[in-house]
Amino acid sequence: MSGVDLSSIVKKYGAFQVVHGIDLTVAEKEFVVLVGPSGCGKSTTLRMIAGLEEITAGDLTIDGRRMNRIAPKDRDVAMVFQNYALYPHLNVADNMAFGLRIRKMPKAEIKTTIDDVAGILGLTEYLDRRPADLSGGQRQRVAMGRAIVRHPKVFLFDEPLSNLDAKLRTQMRAEIKRLHKRLGVTSIYVTHDQVEAMTLADRIVVMNDGRIEQIGTPMELFNNPANTFVAGFLGSPPMNQVKGVLTAKGAKIGETEIKIDGVTAADVGRAVTVGIRPEHVALKAGKGTSALPIDLDLVEPLGSEALLHARFDNNEMVFKAETHGDIGHLSGVTDIHVDSSLVKLFDGETGQALNLGG
Amino acid sequence: MANMNLYSRGDKLFVYINMALIALFTLSTLYPFIYITAVSFSDGSAASAGTVVYKPVATTISAYKYVLSEPLFWTSYVNTFIYTFGGTFVSLLIIIPGAYALSRPQLIGRRFFNLFVAFTMWFNAGLIPFFLNMRDLGLMDSYFGLIIAFACNAFNIILLRNFFEAIPESFEEAARMDGANEFQVLWKVFIPLSKPAIATIILFCMVARWNGFFWAMIVLKDEQKIPLQVYLRQVIATLKDDEEFGLQVLNFSYSVETVTAAIMVCSIIPVLIFYPFIQKYFNKGIMLGGVKE
Amino acid sequence: MSDQHIPTDGRLVRLYDHFKREWQIYVLLLPMIIWFTVFLYKPMYGLQIAFKDYSIFKGIADSPWIGFEHFQTLFGSDQFMRALRNTFMISMLSLCFGFPMPIILALMFNEITNQVFKRTAQTIVYLPHFISTVIIAGIVITAFSPTAGIVNAVLEWFGIEPIYFLIKPEWFRPIFIGSGIWQEAGFSSIVFLAAIAGVNPSLYESAVVDGASRWQMMWKITLPSILPTIIIMLIIRIGNLLEVGFELIIVLYQPATYETADVINTFIYRQGVQGAQYDMAAAAGLFNAVVAFVLVMTANTISKRYSRTSLW
Ligand SMILES: Nc1ncnc2c1ncn2[C@@H]1O[C@H](COP(=O)(O)OP(=O)(O)OP(=O)(O)O)[C@@H](O)[C@H]1O
Ligand SMILES: [Mg+2]
Repeated sequence: MSGVDLSSIVKKYGAFQVVHGIDLTVAEKEFVVLVGPSGCGKSTTLRMIAGLEEITAGDLTIDGRRMNRIAPKDRDVAMVFQNYALYPHLNVADNMAFGLRIRKMPKAEIKTTIDDVAGILGLTEYLDRRPADLSGGQRQRVAMGRAIVRHPKVFLFDEPLSNLDAKLRTQMRAEIKRLHKRLGVTSIYVTHDQVEAMTLADRIVVMNDGRIEQIGTPMELFNNPANTFVAGFLGSPPMNQVKGVLTAKGAKIGETEIKIDGVTAADVGRAVTVGIRPEHVALKAGKGTSALPIDLDLVEPLGSEALLHARFDNNEMVFKAETHGDIGHLSGVTDIHVDSSLVKLFDGETGQALNLGG
Repeated sequence: MANMNLYSRGDKLFVYINMALIALFTLSTLYPFIYITAVSFSDGSAASAGTVVYKPVATTISAYKYVLSEPLFWTSYVNTFIYTFGGTFVSLLIIIPGAYALSRPQLIGRRFFNLFVAFTMWFNAGLIPFFLNMRDLGLMDSYFGLIIAFACNAFNIILLRNFFEAIPESFEEAARMDGANEFQVLWKVFIPLSKPAIATIILFCMVARWNGFFWAMIVLKDEQKIPLQVYLRQVIATLKDDEEFGLQVLNFSYSVETVTAAIMVCSIIPVLIFYPFIQKYFNKGIMLGGVKE
Repeated sequence: MSDQHIPTDGRLVRLYDHFKREWQIYVLLLPMIIWFTVFLYKPMYGLQIAFKDYSIFKGIADSPWIGFEHFQTLFGSDQFMRALRNTFMISMLSLCFGFPMPIILALMFNEITNQVFKRTAQTIVYLPHFISTVIIAGIVITAFSPTAGIVNAVLEWFGIEPIYFLIKPEWFRPIFIGSGIWQEAGFSSIVFLAAIAGVNPSLYESAVVDGASRWQMMWKITLPSILPTIIIMLIIRIGNLLEVGFELIIVLYQPATYETADVINTFIYRQGVQGAQYDMAAAAGLFNAVVAFVLVMTANTISKRYSRTSLW
C-alpha cells in the first residue's frame, strides 16, 4: 500500500506562511490532481512531498512511514518537472540511466530497464539523441521515462504539460492517463489547467491561498461545488454568480425572481449568491424554468455551440446555446430560461454552498 | 551587415577608409611581433646597429642556439609549465567547489560568505602585508608557496558562481531525487553544464600564471625555481643597463638584443599555439560575467 | 484553522537535520574559506604595522604602536608625494587616451562588411592582451633603444638625432600609455562589440529607408545605443583609477625616469620589498587601499543609481 498521507502540513518561508495546514489522504494507485490559481501553494505542497522543501509543521507519511526528515532520495518518489530538467550533456538513454547508475544498479539490468521503458514510451529510436535534438513531446516523454525507470512508489508531476502547445498537450494528457492505468502507481499531479484536472483525476483537490477548498471526484466538484471559489474555478466558461435575496418562492435578483423549491421561512430575506452554469439554460421556457430578461452584447460562435455574452441586472453573464448550424436566430434573444433545479445557492457572506431543506 | 552593392557612393568611400584604418591598426598591432622575430633571427651586430626593420638582416639562428644551450632557460621554461598547470589545477580545486557552494540557496550564511569573498575585490591589505604573511607562513622560495598563494581570486569565483546560479534549480533537484549527493550533483551535472564558464576560468588562470612575474620575482630566490618571465626579465635588465652605459657586452653573431628577442619569441609560441582554442570563448559575453544584474 | 497551535520541530532539531543532510556543501565551501582567511584576511590583520614601529624580531603583535607617524612621514616626503602625483597623472592620461580607443575600434569593426577581413583583424588585435608584461617591456626596450631600436632608426632616416627615450622623463608617460593602448585596446573592444550586437536591427533598417548614410547611422544609432555600456565601463574604470599597471613600470623605469614614472605601488615595492621599510610601505599601501575602496564604492553606488546594475 503506497498511500500518501498529509496531516496538518504547514509551510512558512521565514515569517511568511504559504501553506496553512493541509490534510489529504491519497490512496494507493490513486491519481490525485492539485489545482488552484497561481501562487496558491500547489508546487510548494508537491515539493514538500518530494522532500525538496522542508516541512515547517505537520506530518507526511508515505507507505505508512513518516517522511518529514527523510532525504528526497530515500523517499522512493520520482518527480517530473515543468521544464523537464533533462541533462543537456547526456543522451536520452543516459538521462534515464542517471538515477539507476547513482543507485549502483548492475549494467545489464539498467539496459533492460531502459529498453523496456523506452518501448512503453515509444522512445526506442531516440535513445542516443541529446535532448536538444528532440521535439517538445519527446522531451516530455523522456522526463517521464526518467521517473518511470526507477519504479518509485509515488509519481509527482509539477505542471508537466504547460510547456507544450495545445494539441500536444491533449495528446500527452491521454498518454499520461493510459500510462497510469498500465502502471498503477500512486500519482500526485499539479496543474492550473482545469481541463487537465477534470480529465486526469480520480480525485481533484482545489486549493486557494494555501488552503484546500474542496476534495472530490471531478463530477462531484462540478455538480456540487462547496463554495463560490470552487464553483468559479471549475467549468469553462465558469459559473455565473449574481447577488440575490431569498424569498418564500425562490431567489430575487434585482426585479427578477427565480423559482427555487425548499426555501424555509427562516431563510427568507437572507443574502445569497446565485450560481448559474452557462450550460444549464435554455432559449425556450420549459418545465420548472424561470425567465431572465437579458441585454445581449455579443455572440461568439464556437461551432455547434455559441457563447452569449449578456447583461442581466448590471451583471455580466455568459451562457451557452446550441447553434444548430446558424447563429442568426441567436441575435434576437431577450430572455434566458434557467432550469431551477440546477441553480446553486451560496451564502452571501461566507460563499459556502447552501443546502436548502437538506 | 547589409549588401555593399546597395551602398551609396559616400557610404562606399566611408567603408573603404574605415577598412584602411582598421588595416593600419591591425598592422601596427602585428608589427612589434614581426619586429622582434626579425631581430631574433638577425646577426648580432646588425641588430645592435638598428638596421633590422621587418625581416632578418644577415639571417642566423645563433641567438636561438645560445638561448637553447642555456640551462637556466630550460629550467625556467619547465618551471613555467609547472606553475601554469599546477597552479591552474589547484585554482580549479578551490574555485569550482567554492563557487558551487556559494550558489546553493540552502547554504546557511550564504549572504555572509558571498560578501566575505566579494569584499576582497574592494579592499585588500596590499603588497607588504601579503608579502610578510607569505614569509611568516614559510611559503617563500617554494613551488608550493607560489602556487597556493595565488590560487584564488574573488573575480573568478563570482564569475563561476553567477554561471552556476543561472542553471535552473530543477537540475539539482532532479539529480537529488535520482539519489545524487552534492558531490555527484557538482561533478555529474554542474561541471558538464558549465564547460564554457570553466574554460574561461581555466583561460584566466593559465594566462595569469604564464605571464606572471612580479610575485615570482619577489618570492623566489633560488634560480632553479624561477619561471621564464623572471629569467627574461633578468636578461632584459642586462639589456637596459647596457643601454644606460652605452656598452655592447657581447660581440658575437648574437647580441643582447637578439638573445632577448629569441627568448621572447620562445615565450610567445605556446600562447600562439593555445590562442585558437581560447579564442572561441571571447565572444560569448562571458567577459562580463562578473557583472551581475 | 489557526496557525499557532501546530507543533513545529524545534529550531535545533531542524538545524541538526540541515547539517546532517547538507554537510557536503560546507565541505565544498571550506577550502575556499580557508584560502581567503589565510591569504587575504590574515594580511588585513597584518595591516596594523602601518601604525606600529614594526620589527621582524618582535613580530606584528608585539611591535610598539606609534599612531600616525608613518603617515606624517609619508605626506612630508617628496618621494611619496611625487608617487601620488604620478599615479594620478598616469591614470588620468590613460583614461583620456586609453578609454576612447576600444569604443572607436568597436564602432569601426562594426562597419566592416567583409567577414574574413573582420575576423582576421579581430584575432590579431586581441592577441597582445595575452602577452606578458615582461615581453611588452622587452619589445619596448628593444624598439626604443638608442642604437639598436627601430624607432631611432626611423628618426635617423628623417635626420633626427637618436633619443635615449627610456632615460628621458618626458618620454616615459607617452611610451607607457602607448604600450597600454597597444596591449588592451583591441581586447577591451569586445565588450562594446557585444553591446553593438545587441542593438535592434530594425533601427538600422528604418534609417536606411529614411536615407541615412553609414556615418550618420554610426553617430545617431550605434553610439547612442551603446551609451549605457560606455557609461558603465567608464564608471568601472574610474573605480579602478589607482590600479596603474605598475608591473610594466617596474620593468621599464629607472632612477633617471622616477620623476615621472614612480607611482604608489612602485614606491611601496622599493621601500618595502627592496628597502625592508615594511611599516612605512604598509602605511602607503593602506592609504592606497582606502582611497581605492572609496572610489570603488562610489562607482558602484553611481552605477546602481544610473542603471540599476550593480557591478558585482
Ligand atoms: N523560496 C520562497 N521564499 C518565499 N516565498 C516563496 C518561495 N517559494 C514560493 N514562495 C511563495 O509561496 C507561494 C506559493 O508558491 P507555489 O510555487 O507553491 O505556487 P503555485 O501554486 O505552484 O503557483 P503556480 O501555479 O504559479 O506554479 C507563492 O506566494 C510564492 O510567492
Ligand atoms: Mg508551481
